[in-house]
Amino acid sequence: MENGGSEGRDPSGFLSEIIGTPVTVKLNSGVVYKGELQSVDGYMNIALEQTKEYVNGKVHRTYGDAFIRGNNVQYISADS
Amino acid sequence: MSDTEDASAPQSEPLDLVRLCLDEIVFVRLRGDRELKGRLHAYDSHCNLVLGDVQETIYIVEDEEEDEEGTVRTVNKQSEMLFVRGDSVVLISPQGQP
Amino acid sequence: MLFFSFFKTLVDHKVTVELKNDIQIEGTLKSVDQYLNIKLDDITVVEEIRWPHLSSVKNIFIRGSVVRYVHLPAADVDTALLEDATRREAAQTSARARQG
Repeated sequence: MENGGSEGRDPSGFLSEIIGTPVTVKLNSGVVYKGELQSVDGYMNIALEQTKEYVNGKVHRTYGDAFIRGNNVQYISADS
Repeated sequence: MSDTEDASAPQSEPLDLVRLCLDEIVFVRLRGDRELKGRLHAYDSHCNLVLGDVQETIYIVEDEEEDEEGTVRTVNKQSEMLFVRGDSVVLISPQGQP
Repeated sequence: MLFFSFFKTLVDHKVTVELKNDIQIEGTLKSVDQYLNIKLDDITVVEEIRWPHLSSVKNIFIRGSVVRYVHLPAADVDTALLEDATRREAAQTSARARQG
């Protein structure tokens, strides 16, 4: 139940704790996004800031802001 | 969901980012190696979209027999007004690439 | 409801529906429902050489879930009205979400 020092409560508690921090988002397609987590909703739709998109491990594109549709998300991980 | 937010300052949610893109140029990544760039005129919670003056780019990988990633061919298409079904949408970003 | 209402304003207009299997069907939009299932009349298939099996079909019902795009006539879309309707729908949806 230890996730990085914070008390593990439930998944949405974890998500609201990591808002404003750098995260890694992996999609079912294997594409990875790294950026600062702006917000998440109940569908796991995600808004990221200063986002880098990695395809096959290489930076493919960068976005100032990015909305990711939740159904594509495999996981969200806190970088810190 | 049970946060103590007052109604005057509703908690921001991811779709707010899309709302701020209305009447702006957006970049959309779709399933099936497709990308769109166009002006956003409508969206809903499923990410159904209407885009105006759209350029679609399709990435097609050729020589699939090679074990390395083959050469990628791009096809570009134009559409004056396009409805996009939300279930194909992966990512939406304001004003395309930097 | 936004896109259901939107498509109802386009009934009797010519549209091109592009399916997820790449087939493109042009026709007159005859009806639409809440799932965005679509009925088209007087259809023709774009690139009929590649998709000859629909050449004798005159009208068609398309399940909403197989649609990728619908190409629309820009002249028949009031974009300012659409954007206003979108903002109204967004406000309603987030109000409902806050009530929980």
